[in-house]
Amino acid sequence: MVKVTIDELSVTYRANDHSLLALDQVGLCLLPGRITALVGESGSGKTTLGKSLMGLLPDYAEVSGSVRLDGQDIVGAGEASLNKIRWSRAAMLFQNGAANLNPVLRIIDQVAEPLIQHGRAGKTEATLEAEKALDRMSIHPSLARRFPHELSGGEIQRALLAMTLIMDPEVLILDEPTAALDAMTKAFVSRIILGARNQGKAVLLITHDLDLARNIADDLVMLYLGQVMETLPAKDLLLNPLHPYTLALGRSYPSLEIHRDLGGIRGDAFYRVIHRHSEKNGVLHPHAHVIGAGSSHEDGHLPPKGCLFQPRCTQSVSECSEKAVPLLDAGTHQVRCVRGGIATRLELEQVSKRYGDVAALGPTDLAFRAGEIFCLVGETGSGKTTLAMIAAGVLQPDQGRRVFEGRDMDRWIKQEYRSLARKIGVIYQNPAEAVSHRFSVFDMVAEPLKIQKQSRDNEEIRKRVLRALADVHLPTEPDFLSRYPHELNMGALQRVCIARALVSEPAMVVADEPTSSLDPSVQAKVLKMMLDLQIEKGLTMLFITHDLGVARKIGDRIGVMLAGRLVETGPTVQVIGRPAHPYTRLLIASARGEIAAASAGPGWPNTNACPFAARCDQVQERCAEVFPEQVSLEEGRHLAWCHYPLG
Amino acid sequence: MHLDVRRVLAKDPWFVTGAGLALLLAVLVLAGPLLAMHDPHDMGFRPLSPPSSEHWLGVNDGGMDIFSELLHGIRNTVLFGLITGVTALVIGVVIGLVCAWFGGVPDHFLMRLADILLAIPAVMILILVAAFFRPSPLTLGLILAALSWPTTAKAIRAQALVVKKSVHIQAARQMGASGAYIIARHLMPELFPLYLIGFAAKARMAMFMEASLSFLGLFDPSRKSLGMMISYALKYYYLDIWWNWLIPPILCLTLLIMTVTFLAVSLEKVFDPRLKETW
Repeated sequence: MVKVTIDELSVTYRANDHSLLALDQVGLCLLPGRITALVGESGSGKTTLGKSLMGLLPDYAEVSGSVRLDGQDIVGAGEASLNKIRWSRAAMLFQNGAANLNPVLRIIDQVAEPLIQHGRAGKTEATLEAEKALDRMSIHPSLARRFPHELSGGEIQRALLAMTLIMDPEVLILDEPTAALDAMTKAFVSRIILGARNQGKAVLLITHDLDLARNIADDLVMLYLGQVMETLPAKDLLLNPLHPYTLALGRSYPSLEIHRDLGGIRGDAFYRVIHRHSEKNGVLHPHAHVIGAGSSHEDGHLPPKGCLFQPRCTQSVSECSEKAVPLLDAGTHQVRCVRGGIATRLELEQVSKRYGDVAALGPTDLAFRAGEIFCLVGETGSGKTTLAMIAAGVLQPDQGRRVFEGRDMDRWIKQEYRSLARKIGVIYQNPAEAVSHRFSVFDMVAEPLKIQKQSRDNEEIRKRVLRALADVHLPTEPDFLSRYPHELNMGALQRVCIARALVSEPAMVVADEPTSSLDPSVQAKVLKMMLDLQIEKGLTMLFITHDLGVARKIGDRIGVMLAGRLVETGPTVQVIGRPAHPYTRLLIASARGEIAAASAGPGWPNTNACPFAARCDQVQERCAEVFPEQVSLEEGRHLAWCHYPLG
Repeated sequence: MHLDVRRVLAKDPWFVTGAGLALLLAVLVLAGPLLAMHDPHDMGFRPLSPPSSEHWLGVNDGGMDIFSELLHGIRNTVLFGLITGVTALVIGVVIGLVCAWFGGVPDHFLMRLADILLAIPAVMILILVAAFFRPSPLTLGLILAALSWPTTAKAIRAQALVVKKSVHIQAARQMGASGAYIIARHLMPELFPLYLIGFAAKARMAMFMEASLSFLGLFDPSRKSLGMMISYALKYYYLDIWWNWLIPPILCLTLLIMTVTFLAVSLEKVFDPRLKETW
């Protein structure tokens, strides 16, 4: 069986003293019967990698490292030996469809060409073979005799696929095979690719179509600026990424499996260049740069020392920009991150809170990861605010432990509360109550800076206040700064409150129903702005809402609360689409406007019981006796506390 | 503070009236001794002579210049009112804030004390103290203040308890604000209207009390005061002196009380931005 191994492959496109570094020490292994998907932003080096497997890089590409096809080195091989391999042992489907075909030759002749060129068959035999191959791709013989311009994009793509497969190669390199195809053709192409895999071919699938990669590939390789950032099992792409880049990429993609899409990744990175500049002693000194939006050479010629993704990362610490990281093993993943993948920002372990004989919050475990939005939903009095205020450090739990950025929160609160307060911003439900009506806009936004004594320099405070106001799209002219709350509308005032929460540059934001007092159009604006800010600043957000519609739109994960207990948590799509707890199902039905029988009512007075037992339509004896054990679905990503989970 | 306070105030008839009166009274109080053409204690004039260019408001039964007496009386009443009002306000605010902020035992103790003081009529105590101990007017003012803080303290406490629970104070706490900061920046400014109302009520009460006590003759007779003038003038009701001897001190007392009220109302409007539109 054929195996392709890529080892420390680096590719540089030479261009005088500004060369382009396309691949940087990439290691990869293609195994027979497996589809490896290469995923990444444009310019991350996907196509370069594909071409280097075929020995198709241009003359001005400098290649180092090795690419071996069954032990035969491709990097150093000559054209003659490469031609023996091409089409017969390894074939590549190029992107941009029709551009790869000769416009003056009939389709069928082009499909037959590899057979003839390799001397496998004569012209008639080859044509017959090609006709069969095209037929397998559902291209009718009458179509096969037409010219490329007479075929549709989908037909061209299928014809190209037939051509790639005609010599039954062992290695397939498919560069964007489904780009610009409609859903049906895409499904057809996917089936062909899966078929090829099942025949034992090693497939390298280069794509930016995350759904395709997730559904048909076995392994994923996340490429960023020529470096592998993460390798992972394909099914983990959207729901269990380990690298912030994978998370952000997944969140940018309009998949039906995640609701929070089109997020994008903050900042830009276009390509990496290698400079050769004359040093003082006259020696040419090569070093690499990342060219992104707004990058300039003003800060000298310092190449990035640490992680390439650091400027765009939501969880970077100072160490990230200082230390280069190798690809580290992490279970079934491999990840290139100093912090070992997406960090946990706040962890709640068994926290609980009582007010007299009312259990406001039963023992609860919850963890918030860096850069995610966690939505807490539930009816009034379900303990959402209690949980949120415990997370924010405002309320102290009776029992349990809180760990914020790896530090015990209770001890932190006692020792130096202000330094913790600086890391957590809180946005309240009613902006009119959340500010003193004797404070001007400037005073309100500057308040955290003054309380936390972050600066004694008035000019600096002023600059930071103006920046925070600009972030929330509010004016920064003196007239506005001296306005008082009663002179602003609710939307503007809530934005002032958001600016206040963000002015100390927190790592986490706790928002308690921040948009419930706003009308729909203002709510839409504020929510969009908060989402943008969350991505731009890489915030971890705990967002409380009773509005399931809002939660569905903005949450990466959802937690459902009832009577002080968490009854279900999981990725938004799964909780909303496939709820496991009857209460969640009821909540969704009510949110749709359906009037259910058990819509409102008290929780069960006995705290040992399931809090929904009194209202549940599938209640059984056990429900009233013991609080349910945690049920783990989807490999522990989706949890429910129910004796008889749905579905 | 608002940048346009002065502009807003200049347009407010309450303030313009109050400030005008206050200015007039201030001039009278400060320059009183100079304006008075005679020593109010000089008894060398012809008793009960009608107003003339020498004696603008005439001469009283004891041969003293009424106008000079009036000026000194205003001065004494205003000083008594101010000192008592400020002292009562300060005691009330401090006690109210202590009760609201700390709660528990201090709150319980101070509020019971307030209830006791409210139950005892201050005027009775003052009459007794003034009659038996003959204290100086300053001491009497301080005693009055010590007896009249409970209403202010209760109002401050009630409002402070409400404000203390407000979200903006929770927010300031979340940011890491100290108790002193919260009291100074959030709690005390929020109670501003109560200070004005409290001060106005106490000052008004004190001035009226001073007039009453002197009307009853419980002050040193040589101390000039409006109450005493009214009391003496009433003895000669059968003579035609009401317009030059009785009315002027009554009018002055009324104007004093009005001034305080007008100023309090107008300032309250300005310093509470939410009232600005509605008033």
